[in-house]
Amino acid sequence: MPESSQNTPPPGGTPPTEQPSLPADFTFATQTPGQKFEIAVLALQNLTLFPETVIPLGVGRPRSIAAVEAALATPEKLLGCITVRPDRSDDTDAKPADLYEVGTLVMIKRMERSGDGMRIIVQGTERIRVVEWKQEDPLLRATVEILPEPRIVDAEQVEAAKRNLQQMIQEAMTMLPNIPPEVRIAVLGSVEAVRLCYFLASVLNLGVEEEQKMLEANTADELVRLSHTSLARELEILQLRSKIASEAQTEMDKAQRDYVLRQQMRAIQKELGEDETGEAAETELLRERLEKAELPQEVRDEADRELRRLQRLPPAAPDYHVIRTYLEFILELPWLKSSEDKLELAEARRILDEDHYGLEDVKERILEFLAVIKLRPDTKSPILLFVGPPGVGKTSLGRSIARALGRQFERMSLGGVRDEAELRGHRRTYIGAMPGRIVQAIRRAGVNNPVLMLDEVDKLGNDYRGDPAAALLEILDPQQNNTFRDHYLDLPFDLSKVFFIATANQLGPIPAPLRDRMEIISLAGYSDREKLEIAKRYLIPRQTTENGLNNAQLKIADDAVELIAARYTREAGVRQMERNIGSIARKVALKIAQAEAESVTVTAADVREYLGPPRFYPEQARKELPAGVATGMAWTEMGGEVLFIEATLLPGGHGLTITGQLGEVMQESARAAQSYLWSHAAEFGIEPEIFKGFGVHLHVPAGAIPKDGPSAGVTITSALASLYTGRRVRPDTAMTGEITLSGLVFPIGGVKEKVLAAHRAGIKRIILPSRNEADVDDIPEDVRNDLQLVFVSGISEVLDAALEVLVANPPPIIADAARGGGGRQPEPEPLTVKG
Amino acid sequence: MNILPLFDLIFVMRNTNRDFSLIRPDRRVVPSGRLWNPPADVYRVSEGWVVKVDLAGVCTDELEIELRESILTIRGCRKDTHYREGCVYHQMEITYSRFEKSIQFPAPVEGASIRRDYRDGFLIIDVRREQD
Repeated sequence: MPESSQNTPPPGGTPPTEQPSLPADFTFATQTPGQKFEIAVLALQNLTLFPETVIPLGVGRPRSIAAVEAALATPEKLLGCITVRPDRSDDTDAKPADLYEVGTLVMIKRMERSGDGMRIIVQGTERIRVVEWKQEDPLLRATVEILPEPRIVDAEQVEAAKRNLQQMIQEAMTMLPNIPPEVRIAVLGSVEAVRLCYFLASVLNLGVEEEQKMLEANTADELVRLSHTSLARELEILQLRSKIASEAQTEMDKAQRDYVLRQQMRAIQKELGEDETGEAAETELLRERLEKAELPQEVRDEADRELRRLQRLPPAAPDYHVIRTYLEFILELPWLKSSEDKLELAEARRILDEDHYGLEDVKERILEFLAVIKLRPDTKSPILLFVGPPGVGKTSLGRSIARALGRQFERMSLGGVRDEAELRGHRRTYIGAMPGRIVQAIRRAGVNNPVLMLDEVDKLGNDYRGDPAAALLEILDPQQNNTFRDHYLDLPFDLSKVFFIATANQLGPIPAPLRDRMEIISLAGYSDREKLEIAKRYLIPRQTTENGLNNAQLKIADDAVELIAARYTREAGVRQMERNIGSIARKVALKIAQAEAESVTVTAADVREYLGPPRFYPEQARKELPAGVATGMAWTEMGGEVLFIEATLLPGGHGLTITGQLGEVMQESARAAQSYLWSHAAEFGIEPEIFKGFGVHLHVPAGAIPKDGPSAGVTITSALASLYTGRRVRPDTAMTGEITLSGLVFPIGGVKEKVLAAHRAGIKRIILPSRNEADVDDIPEDVRNDLQLVFVSGISEVLDAALEVLVANPPPIIADAARGGGGRQPEPEPLTVKG
Repeated sequence: MNILPLFDLIFVMRNTNRDFSLIRPDRRVVPSGRLWNPPADVYRVSEGWVVKVDLAGVCTDELEIELRESILTIRGCRKDTHYREGCVYHQMEITYSRFEKSIQFPAPVEGASIRRDYRDGFLIIDVRREQD
């Protein structure tokens, strides 16, 4: 028969040891509530131990080590652990009064020495209360009493609270990844509420006071309530943190995503062989350039703004390149960069003379300007308008001015420009918008004070897109152009330092307001003598070099040049002449290259050989003029010309027939001339009947060329007067001037060209309106000396000067009419009369 | 002879989230019973059950063995008897003090006869059904 089972005595049934002080070898089989014994005490800092938990502890303080060793010296290795109250600040060993009264009885399961201290693993077994402190040094000892396990007052409530706790823990665990499954099982599988609470209390970060409260709880009801409160609070914090963390995570995810995508894009770009430094480097480069660039503040602000926009844009955005181009353009513009003016008057004079022969007043004007700049450096640049026929050197004069001043030269042709936007640019909102030509020219010049030549301002067009001349009004107004706003730039640019030179062949098409803004300098064209000088000084040397010859190999005699000027060209300038000289030079070069000659001298006799037969037979003064023909002078774009006005009587006809492509003004002046003569017939010895009996045909060759203007008035009058009186007009005399019906002679323009042309044609006497006397100064000295100038202010003076005194051969018709009609006969039938 | 890896294994909660205050990172707490329990093997034999408990160094007379319904409970206290005056622990790995071991059988064993034997440091308990 085996030993019968032993009935366990009921708890508390075992008689407690009566001995209050427990000797080292004292043993007890059970620890029952109420049992008192003396034990070594370990003071715990910042930590509360609970029953039914295992925890490792590090022990370092000598007093603590002594306590642990005292415990190890007992057969059961029991130790009391009591927490130090949290309000202690100093680090000294805690006094018994600093410790709580309730602690935990632990068994030391393991011990290991490490250095001076030791590490122990303890298991909490019972709650204890200090009854009396026995010893403080070298270790704490106290008599303690075992406290009963917390009682369950209301079992259902505790069970409900426990389940609630478990649910909350589960909730907390969903927010805590990586919790080992054994913990999960330990917590959720826990059947006892007290055990669960103790575990929670030791695991949660509640603080010593809270933990102590839970340790001291004597009922399970209180314990679960405390745990519930703590866990609920912790859970809330956890949820909040988790929310914050997940928000932060979202933020970070987005940033990270962008980063990853960018990295990928970079990698792709690298694979494609595109610059791996890419757009970031590009904007960085732009920023650096902007920082270094000299810019007005307003421009800098705008550029910075655009740069910031650029940095936000992906390079694929359409705006990216628009902004980049814009910024680059801003960087290239010379906002504050000026070139230094050369202010040496003598040097400037030398340069001007070197480049151009003659043109005295232009040179003078430039030197004046230089002088003014020298005295007042901030003076506004003048705006000049060179008017003159082609080839007189307007453009090259501009270049020469720039050289004399030491400024940059830029030239733009306005011929055919009909859109205002070409000058002022397009706003950047348009695709393919570009800055205007003015700003572009400034950029090309690289300084903000270049000589800017606006060629062919008389050939500006205009249509529904706007009038470019109107845009020029702003550009050329010194009062406004210091804040010129290009549509593309949309920033004010100071044009006031720009030396504008406009050129035109005619003044007429230039709108008056525009003309008014410029100082008009007329380059009228050169006389034969001037042409000879120009050819000798510039054209022949230039063409010689251009065709690979040297001075010794080609010589062109003066008479040859004169012949070329007179018979091979018809121009006010020297362009055709240069071309002809060029072809002579080429032919000479051929000869020399073929070793037919070593050097060639071209004389007038040789010109035909090189240039073929003469191409022009300019109107020459006719040796003899029949009555009714007068020599006039005309101004053309090519310079001046002489022309003949021919009138003839038409017996039996009536009125005035006018042919030769004459414009309205010219026709009217013809009528005025006739009316004047008619009304003053007696005064000039004209039979009045002649006006009734004969028609008059007026013709001006060459018939294919349109002519207009009032300046032929005196010539027409002379021709008609000659016709009616039979007195011939002197063949050596040419004339010009506008007439009025009352017989006055008004001034006309283009005196110089006209006089030069007349001189070329071999005229010796010229009749000019007396109010044009001042213009005579423009005429080269040598020409003036060759001519006899007659100034007149009334038609009678014209006729006195123009008509020959003797009537050599009165026109037969007039003579017949006078005979037959007795001067009074109305409307004679010319043919019958003649018979 | 490092004892700490055990705890590293068991409880690594502190590694879960650095920014987390709910769990105290400095504590590696393991839930346990109130007392320690020695390991035990349970054999099934034709007569009933044999339970072998690894329980060296205890006085068999001081053991409490209880059989209630289907649970066998062994309680007792292991005391360190080798410790004497003038000796100092350098290392301790044997758990002393009170222990409690409960073994649950798949069927009720209440009323069975119990015979205990103590051999080579093992406590051997024979649980035999009552024989009529």
